[in-house]
Amino acid sequence: MEFKNKRVVVTGATKGLGRAIALSFAREGAWVAANYSSDDQSAARTESELASLAPKSLLLKADVTSKTDVDKMIKRVLDQWEHVDILVNNAGIIRDKFLMFLDENDWDRVIDVNLKGTYLCSRTVLRTMIARKFGRIINITSPSARTGRAGQTNYSASKGGIVSFTKSLSKEIARIGITVNAICPGFISTPMTESLNQDIKCDLSNRIPMGRLGQPEDVAEAVLFLASEKAGYITGQVLAVDGGLI
Amino acid sequence: MEELINNKEELFEFLKKMIIDTLRLEDITPDEIENHAPLFKEGLGLDSIDALELVVAIEKIFNIIIEDENVGQKAFASITALGMFIQDEYQQVQAD
Repeated sequence: MEFKNKRVVVTGATKGLGRAIALSFAREGAWVAANYSSDDQSAARTESELASLAPKSLLLKADVTSKTDVDKMIKRVLDQWEHVDILVNNAGIIRDKFLMFLDENDWDRVIDVNLKGTYLCSRTVLRTMIARKFGRIINITSPSARTGRAGQTNYSASKGGIVSFTKSLSKEIARIGITVNAICPGFISTPMTESLNQDIKCDLSNRIPMGRLGQPEDVAEAVLFLASEKAGYITGQVLAVDGGLI
Repeated sequence: MEELINNKEELFEFLKKMIIDTLRLEDITPDEIENHAPLFKEGLGLDSIDALELVVAIEKIFNIIIEDENVGQKAFASITALGMFIQDEYQQVQAD
């Protein structure tokens, strides 16, 4: 139980990667605060799974783009748990369109959820981590941040911003004992990729040197590593979990 | 807490010990920190990252919020400046 009694906040935690990350921490003894924005059904399922693994877990409905929501969410966590050890900024959305058709709302929303959400949540937990001279902040980026992808100017800008944010913040607080890193998942088998047609899935697998899509648990294991004491001298880094894709 | 804040000498002594403990300055004693000496760059030679830890410590101990970097810079100019800042903020909170 490597994370026994460690307090972990995971945003976007009730589906896909976020859910796998939240459950992996719970299995290792952590107290998990699982944030979600709107899908109450998925949230209820994840809550029930978490409750059986980690009784002190919390379910937190909050919009990570809203300072008011994030402040209330973290206040609730601190009122119940006193501090936060680990924050995983996983909440993210995609609204893919070629730039010519990408309206302002689709641009703003992706930047807000992915990048601003990472900023708001990180800023709000920072004081509790500084007070204890310990913390782990793990941000989720994307291969799109490095290579770009047609139809993803907004998404790749937000994920590229997360990389820069990670590196800058890591330099601010390294000396205090808080590490800030990013995980770059490749093509991961999630409900979204499962719904792709067989040809596309085949094409994706062929592009990956390991010849298969990754599993959410592959990413979760990497998150747990960066959150662990073993990774105490690693900060400002981007760890690709992509089967050799990039 | 009110007694501490209202007694300048005791408050300044407390702040010096707090800075030493928070930043783990093992080679410095409270007597070596002069009230009017700069805390940052010269004097005690603290830097902006030290400031982050001190802001959090002050906020926690005295229940004050330092949201603005400029406010923080003025407050942390010296022990005297910090003491006066805390006294002012405390009085404002009491008045509200």
